[in-house]
Amino acid sequence: MAKFLTAARLTASAKATASLAEARSAKADPLTPCSPRTDTDRMLLSRRDLLDLAVRAAAVPGAVAFFSTWLHAASQQQHASASHAPPEPPLLRDYTPTFFGPDDFEALQAFTEILIPTDETPGAREAHCAHYIDFVLQANTAYAPELQQQWRDAMAALREAGFHSADTEGRAALVEAMSRPEHDASVTHPAYVAYRLIKQHNTFAFYTSRAGMIDTLDYKGNSYNASFPACDHPEHHVV
Amino acid sequence: MELCKAGLKVLMLEAGSHVDPARDFHHTFLYEMEYRGQGKPGLLRRYAGTERNYRIMLDNEENPYTTSPDTVYRWGRSRCLGGRTLHWARATDRMADYELKAASRDGYGMDWAVSYADMKPYYDRVESFIGVSAAQEGLPQFPDGVFLPPMPLNCAETIFTAACKALGWRSTHRRLAQLTRPHNGRPPCHYCGNCVNGCDIGAMFNPIAVTLPPALETGNLEIRTDSVVARVRMNTEGRAQGVTYIERHTMKAVDIDATHVILAASTLENTRLLLLSDKRGLANSSGTLGQYLMDQVSGGGVRGILPKLKGGPSRLDDGKAGGITIPPFQNLDEKTQRKDFIRGYAMNATGGQTEYPAFAANLPGYGSDWKTEVKSRYVAQARVWIAGGEMLARKENFVELDPEVKDRWGIPVLKIHFTHCDNDRKIIADFQEKAEELFRKAGGELIPSVDRDRAAGAPSKPGSPAARGRDKDRSEGRNRAPALGSSIHEVGTARMSVSPKDGVLNAFCQTHDIPNLYVFGGNAFPSTGDKHPTLTMMALTARGCDHLLELAKGKRV
Repeated sequence: MAKFLTAARLTASAKATASLAEARSAKADPLTPCSPRTDTDRMLLSRRDLLDLAVRAAAVPGAVAFFSTWLHAASQQQHASASHAPPEPPLLRDYTPTFFGPDDFEALQAFTEILIPTDETPGAREAHCAHYIDFVLQANTAYAPELQQQWRDAMAALREAGFHSADTEGRAALVEAMSRPEHDASVTHPAYVAYRLIKQHNTFAFYTSRAGMIDTLDYKGNSYNASFPACDHPEHHVV
Repeated sequence: MELCKAGLKVLMLEAGSHVDPARDFHHTFLYEMEYRGQGKPGLLRRYAGTERNYRIMLDNEENPYTTSPDTVYRWGRSRCLGGRTLHWARATDRMADYELKAASRDGYGMDWAVSYADMKPYYDRVESFIGVSAAQEGLPQFPDGVFLPPMPLNCAETIFTAACKALGWRSTHRRLAQLTRPHNGRPPCHYCGNCVNGCDIGAMFNPIAVTLPPALETGNLEIRTDSVVARVRMNTEGRAQGVTYIERHTMKAVDIDATHVILAASTLENTRLLLLSDKRGLANSSGTLGQYLMDQVSGGGVRGILPKLKGGPSRLDDGKAGGITIPPFQNLDEKTQRKDFIRGYAMNATGGQTEYPAFAANLPGYGSDWKTEVKSRYVAQARVWIAGGEMLARKENFVELDPEVKDRWGIPVLKIHFTHCDNDRKIIADFQEKAEELFRKAGGELIPSVDRDRAAGAPSKPGSPAARGRDKDRSEGRNRAPALGSSIHEVGTARMSVSPKDGVLNAFCQTHDIPNLYVFGGNAFPSTGDKHPTLTMMALTARGCDHLLELAKGKRV
């Protein structure tokens, strides 16, 4: 951030600002989008393009007032047309697991769905939690081999505990037994570490998905709002 | 902006790249990103920040720094047009004579070379221009200013306000450089809570939305990005001749001459440039250049839930990314003077819904009951954290040039020497006690933690991969022995002084030794105070610009 200012008696400032604008115009966007474009993204494109134009115009003397006015108008328009929480992009919908073998993946999927079941709100199944966990693990091959080993150990512990071969009721009973040390530190279970590992990653995968964040928790932020909702509870004004 | 408006031709050299709000800043939901905010594996080891904002941070591999063996310090940096103000917390507090003249009160360290009366006109000017939402409180240790209406309090903040009243503590809306109504042609905040990823409409203060457009409008400003300044060049008359910068991509060195040189590259980068520009350090007749490095202390804090809010409907609680502030109420005068430590701290508190329920993985249980409990607590989250704690200025905390390590452009990097003293630890310990007292008074419950040592690779929240080093304990609930951390509020290392023997800068941030060389940033601070430093940096800059303009007119030598 070495901003460095010299109050030089330059004579070519107009040329300099013009060249700045040209440089901006000529500069191709080198950034790769984080995720595939969604319908909402496409809807926003015109706004972004206009914003871009406004920012470029700001480099031209005399255009700042227009820029500011336009920004205000653009924001008001956005408030009016805002659609909260865009749909989830199809990142995991067609994902084929590569880190886990088929039987481990099936076991993991079942385990995540016991931890976060589908009830009146979506669960790990709708959030593709097992898929997300596989995706992150396979991407970590060169970066976190210790993490991958933890997961191999965890799946081995589940297999050892009989989770893979158990039926639905047996699996539910096993998860219940594995979770007991959470409530009682004097209790131990050989697959408790595996339970905690899966729970931690599953929790993250679920509540960062649209199914968890929006459909379950009803997160309101990351949206355009005309005002901030003040507390309107008299009982909160006393302790 | 001030210089351009006065008619000076200004060339701004920016080491990082251009930032385009239309391209770089927008609302992105975690599930829209492949890695849910964590970034592709390895990415966030190279950059600070998250998948959303790493582009407005800094590449650590290109820009290393080193530390002494006993230093625990993480230097948070950004290299791009606008720098750290693109993702700052927007806290905009005035410092008071309680801080500026603290040495006269308790005998430690050195008073500032300016008083609140000197600073007030510049605080007024800066606040009037950038827009600060806040409430007037009439507290001498927390001076009021020129404010826009404050943002409303959410439910948790209302409860904490009631708890403060019950304890006899004053509290107020956090003072934020965020607009609550249209101001100077900028739109008001739309309460998305996305501030630290860059404001898409310029409703919070940052230079690219607020100060650079009017500066560019004058036709007197040229900005060259991707220009890494390597040193200040001097002439034979003891004045700054100009600078040499290196084109970031081509590595070509370019000399620029100027009548005045201003370093405004962030506190430690400014000092690095002074160290790079002369064997003994430029403008260092006092021998203090690099010394008295400080960063407000942080650490501890309380997280939990407010039972009153459990099970309530989802609300936009984090949309303003605000909270309440409890201004310092100790060590203000003889009556409030503590025997065990000097100086003080301010606290913040907030609560309610957040983007991600960081507590959930540590909540015992699973299944539908667990899901219901997560949702019930999700809207009742609450936390108290330190807004700013004064770290004492000590000579033994300093920066120097590393004799071996260089950055990508072959420029020697900084080596940081940074440790805390007993007073710093006592401040955090006292804060922890008061934070827990406030939390109890509000009826708060700590969240039970079943697994404080997270499984490797399991992030506690988006953007905090377990693999990344942490300089403080952020685990849930009470921190019984709070670890001291930093606040990304590094200041000092070229402090201001009345006498040239005691510091590098005068009261106008002009170097004592070189009349046409100014240093704007946190360098001038002889002490940290307990307020967020940004507004004071801006006010000092405005004051320095006035001084430079007078100098440029030939009114002063």
